[in-house]
Amino acid sequence: MGRKAEAPGISPSLFGKTRQALLALLYTRPDEEHLQESLIQLAGLGRGAVQRELEFLARAGVVRRMVRGRQVYFQANADSPIYAELRGLVVKTVGAADVLRGALAPLSGRIRVAFVYGSVAAGAEHRASDVDVMVIGEASFAEVSEALAGAQETIGREVNPSVYAAADFRAKLAAGHHFLRSVAGGEKLFLIGDDRELARLAKK
Amino acid sequence: MSLRDWQRNSWLVAHKTSREEISGLLAIVERDLGSAKVAGLADDWRLGIAYNAALQAATAALCAAGYRAVREQHPYRTIQSLGLTIGWPARRVDQLDRFRKKRNVLGYETAGVVSEREAREMHEMAAALREDVRAWLGRHHPKLVAR
Repeated sequence: MGRKAEAPGISPSLFGKTRQALLALLYTRPDEEHLQESLIQLAGLGRGAVQRELEFLARAGVVRRMVRGRQVYFQANADSPIYAELRGLVVKTVGAADVLRGALAPLSGRIRVAFVYGSVAAGAEHRASDVDVMVIGEASFAEVSEALAGAQETIGREVNPSVYAAADFRAKLAAGHHFLRSVAGGEKLFLIGDDRELARLAKK
Repeated sequence: MSLRDWQRNSWLVAHKTSREEISGLLAIVERDLGSAKVAGLADDWRLGIAYNAALQAATAALCAAGYRAVREQHPYRTIQSLGLTIGWPARRVDQLDRFRKKRNVLGYETAGVVSEREAREMHEMAAALREDVRAWLGRHHPKLVAR
């Protein structure tokens, strides 16, 4: 909340953008085999760059490459000597959003928009940064904070939810509420919904 | 763990309460539950006042049980003790503790992190806790509750 992005984030200091995205996808769901095509789509960073990075990670033994028929699959390599360490690192940094997304999934029917804001969303988090989460919809604070309690342990950081009804969010935003304006205008990592849904919700 | 174990851990100290102390604490609970509803208050204030009502209710129960929390982590211990005093379920205790964390964040962050819904939920929880503490006092410590 309003923390300045003075220092680079942990994850960008270690990995480039493509590697971060792929490690997040592969290492937060290490039990799944991921189709190359879906990784390209989810990473959203260009086919060539993603393919090169996947080949590189496979050669290094960090991920496994499997070919079935005409399809190429990738999976986190649990036999890699640094598997556990890398998974821990990913989950605590780039993977945090995925962990939170999974935690909120059971409530998704009653949440219109949820996103991480503040230093973590800006990629400027530090060791002790709390993860600030904005949730807008019908779910209660009790439900949301309970759902996020497990995620908090997984990512090893405090998670601070703010739980708004759409009308309250809209009214405070319209009244020029400083905090909500800066949150709405700042960097976000969407967990449920997207920018368009948020804009729609803010205007109505 | 029992309250006695907590005392051995230096989380609590023995405390002899009185009818006056209990009625004083319960009066603060009533005052704050009322104040939190005053028209025109910002939601972060509402939440803070209702939270204080809950904390005082928990303090009343702990005092009646013969203890008070030491200074370090005082609110945390007082809230956690509800499981051992009035037998509040762990889930409720955890929920109240999350409001404590929310309020701590408020202390050094910006005011607007509290929504109308959160303030209302905190108030409902504090009102429910007051009822539970009053009922428990009536059953287990009738002499401490003024008629």
